[in-house]
Amino acid sequence: MRLEIYQIVVPLISLFFIWGLASRFRKSRASMQELVAGSLFWLSVAIFALFPDFFSRKIARLFGIKSNINAIIFFCLGLIFFFQYKLFFLIKKQQIALTALTRKIALEQKQDKEIEA
Amino acid sequence: MPRKRCANLLTTTNTMMIQESEIGVIIPAYNEGPMIGEVVAHVRSCGYPHVVVIDDGSKDDTRQRALEAGAEVVSHLINRGAGAASQTGIHYARQRGFSYIIQLDADGQHHPEDMKALIEKMAEGKYEIVIGSRFIQMSEGIPAMRVAYNRISNLLTNWFCRGSYSDSQSGFRMLNRKAIETLNLGLDGFGYCSEMIVVAERNGLSIGEVPISVSYTEYSMSKGQDIHMGVTTAINLLWKLIFHQTH
Repeated sequence: MRLEIYQIVVPLISLFFIWGLASRFRKSRASMQELVAGSLFWLSVAIFALFPDFFSRKIARLFGIKSNINAIIFFCLGLIFFFQYKLFFLIKKQQIALTALTRKIALEQKQDKEIEA
Repeated sequence: MPRKRCANLLTTTNTMMIQESEIGVIIPAYNEGPMIGEVVAHVRSCGYPHVVVIDDGSKDDTRQRALEAGAEVVSHLINRGAGAASQTGIHYARQRGFSYIIQLDADGQHHPEDMKALIEKMAEGKYEIVIGSRFIQMSEGIPAMRVAYNRISNLLTNWFCRGSYSDSQSGFRMLNRKAIETLNLGLDGFGYCSEMIVVAERNGLSIGEVPISVSYTEYSMSKGQDIHMGVTTAINLLWKLIFHQTH
């Protein structure tokens, strides 16, 4: 099998991210759920890069899409939506934390002023 | 803007079970410098000694004006939205031990004289939350766009509720101690009005409504939600109600 450059680079990048996830998990900075989900994702990216025609044809057949190029486009759109959801969720989480912090500071400052008075 | 007189209300409310001194009047405010002093003074002139302005990170002199008018001020360091300010008011009421709170808008659209109607409804003892509704007896001068916006919001809110509410977006509300202790709202923006109703129902709190009147001025119109904010509010509310537990 003749490999294109991207078929070497993409799996290497995927391995790098899996290694990073494992390292974060070891340091208790990532949960088991994050490690498993992240590893599966990067592994599938690596495999997809190694066998692009095989998988794009499979996806096209699975969803009844006529050409494998369309299948790749739909697959990528799905991924983008997934990341959009993750980002939205993350931003919401940060906003909740920021509001809680702002409230805590406001109430503590008010209490301090009352004690001073 | 014509102001009603409050003097004759004091004796009436004094004969009720609920005393003005038990009530904390909470006014969330963001960049309300031109109006907040007048609103605070008006509330105080109606006999309510505890007026608390939640300054939501204003960039103008809202804080200073509120203090000068005799309010207590709790200040957010940064702007977090009307819902966040409202929930800070609820937290502060817990801290201060208010038996009741009444929330009203800082832009002067609400009439503090109407607080008497909310108190009387609360004094019936059947409700934990009383909402001042602009639409039970259609208040005059409400712009058509606002009416339409509120109708859509009511539909959306009532979809998630057992009860049917005529003014789910009203910022004029009275909460008793049980509601103060129970409610923990998560929405930072204007969606908190609907969220409060849904969360209250899910926690077994009863909600009543009384008619109020409002005055829409050029100033208060510049302060409300526009279409973009309305759509964002609806999306945030749906996100919260569908994907998260609301307790």
